[in-house]
Amino acid sequence: MAKQNLSEQLDQMVEALITRPAVARRQREPKAKAQLQALARIAGELRGLPREDFKARLKADLERRTTMGSKPAVATETRQTATAYLCVKNAAAAIEFYKKVFGATEIMRLVGPEARIGHAEIRIGNSSIYLSDEHPEFGSISPQTLGGTSVKMNLSVPDVDAVAARAVEAGGKMVRPVQDQFYGERSGQFEDPFGQVWMISTTIEQLSAEELQRRVDEMTKQGAFTQAERKPDEKATPAVRPIPEGFHTLTPYLAVNGAARLIDFLKEGFGAVEKFRVGKPGGKLIMHAEMRIGDSVLELADASEEFGARLLGNILHVEDADAVYQRALKAGATSLFAPTEQPWGDREAGVKDTAGNHWNITAIRKTGHRTDDTRAILPYLSLVGAAEFVEFTKRAFGAEETFMLKAPDGKVVHARLRIGDSILALGEAANEGAAMPGALHMYIGDVDSVYAAAVREGVKVLRPLREESYGDRAAVLQDAFGNWWFPSTHVKDAQF
Amino acid sequence: MKAPAQDAGERRLVEAAQKDPRRFAELYENNFARVYAYVVRRLRNREEAQDLTAEVFHQALANLGRFEWRGLPFSAWLIRIASNAIADRWKLAAREHGNPSPGEPSSKDVSPEEIEQRARLFRLVETLPNDQRRVIEMRFAQEKSINEIARELGRTDGAIKQLQFRGLESLRSQFEVSARQSTASKSAGKAGRLNG
Repeated sequence: MAKQNLSEQLDQMVEALITRPAVARRQREPKAKAQLQALARIAGELRGLPREDFKARLKADLERRTTMGSKPAVATETRQTATAYLCVKNAAAAIEFYKKVFGATEIMRLVGPEARIGHAEIRIGNSSIYLSDEHPEFGSISPQTLGGTSVKMNLSVPDVDAVAARAVEAGGKMVRPVQDQFYGERSGQFEDPFGQVWMISTTIEQLSAEELQRRVDEMTKQGAFTQAERKPDEKATPAVRPIPEGFHTLTPYLAVNGAARLIDFLKEGFGAVEKFRVGKPGGKLIMHAEMRIGDSVLELADASEEFGARLLGNILHVEDADAVYQRALKAGATSLFAPTEQPWGDREAGVKDTAGNHWNITAIRKTGHRTDDTRAILPYLSLVGAAEFVEFTKRAFGAEETFMLKAPDGKVVHARLRIGDSILALGEAANEGAAMPGALHMYIGDVDSVYAAAVREGVKVLRPLREESYGDRAAVLQDAFGNWWFPSTHVKDAQF
Repeated sequence: MKAPAQDAGERRLVEAAQKDPRRFAELYENNFARVYAYVVRRLRNREEAQDLTAEVFHQALANLGRFEWRGLPFSAWLIRIASNAIADRWKLAAREHGNPSPGEPSSKDVSPEEIEQRARLFRLVETLPNDQRRVIEMRFAQEKSINEIARELGRTDGAIKQLQFRGLESLRSQFEVSARQSTASKSAGKAGRLNG
């Protein structure tokens, strides 16, 4: 608390220094603590600090002059024809890593908006390498986002073991240990913390082409290369399921205020199990969480500036509606309606959870009502224009009607649609205020064609189709009825 | 103020750069902070100081062949170029405004100790832990508000204020250490001379 207070007081002094330097100089707060005054003096000295990129830019500029001014032969010698251009997440950290591990020198860096490095040049030995931060909007994507790289960097170094040791110490992972190779080099391979793969080698024997061929022939005879193909560190990437383990085509996504509280409610009230949770940086807010209730997954997150709150109605299939209803109330839900025998034979109760989502707690009594695709959670959309919505889902997502009950005026009372292996329930909202469009995560095998079809149907693209760091190729769409759709194909297993 | 070994090292560097201008980069690295510290102290404006610092090094590079070693540090030569360039600027400004006696705000000369101190502080900023360095740089060099920095870095205002506090605190403590060391080495040098 005291520290908080100090940093606050210090900032007021800094703010004055920056915005009203003359005034600040006159009124050196005499009351401030000696510690703060010492810091304010340092702050005063820092006014006029050059911009971080200025020094590097001027250096690059001077170097350009020195190389241009000298003989042209020298210029072509120092300017290599081909230069690797690495794209990384956190280029500033990568530059530090390369300095530490390879003894790289920074030639220049250009810092753009959001402090992202738009372009930087470093020098390792006699070679230049360019690098930049990730800029997905310009198609610059890092290996971490792509989940791998197809290009390896090769470095000839004087002492391969020393470089490997420094690499590991600085957070690199050895992909192939350093060892003597038949082709006259001692070499190894490591992956740096930014996903770039480096082959490092030191020449240990000078071999003629003939000698090299002789060794290859000898080793081929011994079957060395067929074995080498099956080296454990080169195992093929297993093909991933387009729908990740445990998921179905449709998964309800709740964007709420108070996600952590909702998670607790789902556990206590509905016996949900938390499978996964990742927080937003620097706070208690949840970026993404996955809960399992019976055979269904439910995803949720705290609402953000980009994606505001989006509540959803759900039908929760249970054995004992009364017991679950009571548990839910105890866990903090409010009652929408007490357990009731419905004319169609099921016993149902309604609650609103801590975030405001509706749950219709249903115990199916009639055997015919339970089908093969009845799962614990059935998402329910209450929409204005439900009949048009049904037609839209058929065209955009290839939905099939499995149940349709219409009122005499043509409005949908209750409908069920099948999309992939999942069922979606919906009905016409009593009025605009009662409408409750939702958010649905949709896993399909070929997201590109679904995306194209949806765009043809006039959906609004909230986030274009792209490969996300968590291993999905995904987009965010909003249909004309206010629902959000996250069509996705799982393309690789990745750490979130 | 400098040990003879350092002098010899600098002299070799200057001579190497006179033969091969590509070696000028090392002289630049060693003297950037000093020149900039001097210029910004005189001009009190970042943009102008950056412009003029660039001008000084370009002039130095172009005239490197004329530099003669007379036992003064290379930085003294650079500071003289800077001082002349600043004077030229003021003369020019005075002519343009038709003012015969320009009100140059800080015409009194800056002491070498003061330049050295500020240069040391600027160099210390470069050695701060990444997140502290970024906040200090955005706050003082880019003059951004706490809230702007918080939004750019995806942190809370409170976290940025903390980083600013910690950054200034580590600069202060390191600054004092390096100041002590430089006084210590100075007195050690004196003692050495007296004994020798």
